Amino acid sequence: MIAAFLYLQIVSARNRLVSRFQRLRQPKYLLGAVVGGLYFYFYFFRYLFLGHNGRVAQAALPPEYGAVVESLAALLLFIIVLLAWLLPGDRAALTFTEAEVAFFFPAPVSRRMLVQFKLVRSQLRIFFSALLLTLFSRRFGGHVLIHAFGWWLILSTMSLHFLGASFARTLLLDHGISNRRRRLLVTALAAGLGIFVWQWAKKTLPPPTAADTADLTALANYAQQVLHTGPAEGLLYPFHLLARPFFAADAAAFFSALAPALLLFLLHYLWVTFADVAFEEASIEASQKLAERVAAMRAGNWQAAKKTQKAKRAWFRLTPTGPAATALLWKNLICVGQIFTARLWLILAIIVIALVAGFGQSSHAENLGTVAVIIIAAVLGYSLLLGPQLLRLDFRHDLPQAEILKTFPLRGWQIALGEILAPVVVLAGFQWLLVLIGFGLVLFLPGKHAALIVAIGLSAACVLPVLDFLLLLIPNAAVLLFPSWVQAGKDSPRGIEATGQRLIFAIGQLLALLVALVPATLGFLAVYYPLKLAIGPITPIPFAALAATVIVAAEAALGVWWLGRFFERLDVTEAVGN
Amino acid sequence: MVQVEGLTKLYGDFTAVNELTFSIQPGEVVGLVGPNGAGKTTTLRCLAGIIPPSRGTVRVCGHDLASDALAAKKQLAFFTDEPRLFDYLTVWQHLNFVARIYQVTDYEKIGATLLEELELAPKRDALPGELSRGMKQKLVIACGLLHSPKVIYFDEPLTGLDPYGIRRMKDSILQRARDGAAIIISSHLLHLVQEICSRILILKNGKKIADGSLAEVTHKFSQTAGDASLEDIFFRATSEPAAPPVLPGEAP
Repeated sequence: MIAAFLYLQIVSARNRLVSRFQRLRQPKYLLGAVVGGLYFYFYFFRYLFLGHNGRVAQAALPPEYGAVVESLAALLLFIIVLLAWLLPGDRAALTFTEAEVAFFFPAPVSRRMLVQFKLVRSQLRIFFSALLLTLFSRRFGGHVLIHAFGWWLILSTMSLHFLGASFARTLLLDHGISNRRRRLLVTALAAGLGIFVWQWAKKTLPPPTAADTADLTALANYAQQVLHTGPAEGLLYPFHLLARPFFAADAAAFFSALAPALLLFLLHYLWVTFADVAFEEASIEASQKLAERVAAMRAGNWQAAKKTQKAKRAWFRLTPTGPAATALLWKNLICVGQIFTARLWLILAIIVIALVAGFGQSSHAENLGTVAVIIIAAVLGYSLLLGPQLLRLDFRHDLPQAEILKTFPLRGWQIALGEILAPVVVLAGFQWLLVLIGFGLVLFLPGKHAALIVAIGLSAACVLPVLDFLLLLIPNAAVLLFPSWVQAGKDSPRGIEATGQRLIFAIGQLLALLVALVPATLGFLAVYYPLKLAIGPITPIPFAALAATVIVAAEAALGVWWLGRFFERLDVTEAVGN
Repeated sequence: MVQVEGLTKLYGDFTAVNELTFSIQPGEVVGLVGPNGAGKTTTLRCLAGIIPPSRGTVRVCGHDLASDALAAKKQLAFFTDEPRLFDYLTVWQHLNFVARIYQVTDYEKIGATLLEELELAPKRDALPGELSRGMKQKLVIACGLLHSPKVIYFDEPLTGLDPYGIRRMKDSILQRARDGAAIIISSHLLHLVQEICSRILILKNGKKIADGSLAEVTHKFSQTAGDASLEDIFFRATSEPAAPPVLPGEAP
């Protein structure tokens, strides 16, 4: 039977690979693959072939930190395992695809065989993850094969442990031990162990002195002392066994660490294959949910693809009359969810004001204030770059619903405006909060450049929303112009070619933004310099920013109109598919 | 209510809909039938203003769908074969949203009545993910009927409905027609079309090959007028032999 499972895996993987290569006949995939391949080579792969004289050696971990990093890794694995026993509440459900359920469950296949199949199938994912993690961790030194095998061992054993924990959870539930009781027991056990280790460390080890925290090496030595002696050492021992092959400095160390780690892996394997736990019913339900999520993801509906959804309160009351575009804003803001509620904004603002007031009392207030302003400026800059990529509650989210949107008695520009407003509101809200913090710093702290900060803050508050709008227009235009490139449709690309396509788009977006900013910059300068001669260098900044805002707003309005016209003429059958 | 003249939809060299001309009067229920790929869904999408036709005109309640799209769309409702809903809006939020789009001032009263009629009132605050397929279909219908459309298009309206749902859907369609709405139903379920449609429009390869009442279409395609079912007529009209299915063990 295992041969049949292997056949399914191998043939599926081969066919997937063949279809990937066949897809490269299309220029968009070929170009994406070339750019993505170059990116992966320059960012990851070339380090595989570099000797210790290259960048690898520079980024490599100093040997004196090796032991403490291994201890910290063991501690991390311990915490992950603890959480695996503490958090999940559902019964064991091996997730099969609907096709697998349809073929295997009625077939004469034993439960153990199904588990074996899951393990075989999970190996493909683990191999791929191990490869990616190796590409990353290799940059910090170590041997590539040691890292690859080390990662594989860690990921495989942890995967088996999660499965075993889910089986144990199911058995406990079957024996009447509820999730609540189990969580209480695990929490009590973890707390007891934590207190025991803490008490031991308090009694046995000297408290950290100034010398222990003087530099990173001293701190690492102290941490190693805590983690590698007494009860903590015993507690973390199995996790050390698992992590040790990865941290082996050479082949000899690796092979000496390999046997205990493999034994641990084998024990886990025996645990899950011999545990006779009924998982079929929960698996069928899980496979249906998985199929729904996959269908939602393939249709580009990532919101629906989330595991759980809750009804969310609207941000404002939508009356039946008024501008129709507001309905789309209202709808998309509901989608933004409870994370960005007015209450959250208020809480954030209160926390920030309290922090700023606290800084005001500090003796280092001026230095802290300067650092905070620099951080705010940097975050604002990043919000402009990343915000439009992260907040996708616009055409990128609603394109699969284009058929519904097209039936609405709305002009194209109304739909375009309504679609783009929600991410603008969220992004601008976040940015205004940052500007508010900047103002708070100026009000509470003694600063040398208060007037300049206020002028720049006012300018930013003025120009940022329209700039956000302009920035969001670009990916929205892209998704309508090149839906098969941008959207996560049925044939959405994955892998290297998808990375390449995203890179091409990011570059294109940056270029488009630079072009769009030229008139605004000229407008800013045209207002700023004459005023500067008359009233000085700082006061004209907000006025010049206002001029730039008007120009960007005009560009954005033109963009919305054009996008609307394009949407009106868009053939949704060609754009979205049937 | 609906006037279609020379409607043509091209995809490159492929003609999905070819010079389609017909009109529908208030209270008429027109059955749009044809084999797979005949152009039924494309026709409905063109009639609903979802996709632009390559040639021809569509007028809805006197409004040209190309030049006066907003006025035309205000009179329309289009129900797709798959209930398409916004996953993160509750049942009532869907109605609220649609009310603003169509500017339905008394939507609260109409919406509550529709939810009661469609037995969705207890699910008022549920998300689509919490509804069965039949309930989703009902929600789509509630949203579509909120603005009292005068022209209604159904694409396979009975897909996924249980017998109760099917009965209610048929009653609802006939009631809307009695209230004066012009209705087009695209379906492969010929018995449904035969049961509730006052007129049949048969498409094949994007072309209209028959248009008229069941008796008229029967007369056109049957040598023994009057005794043939729509299924018989369909196969004759589309030149597909109605071969009985071959069961396992039987000689083909």
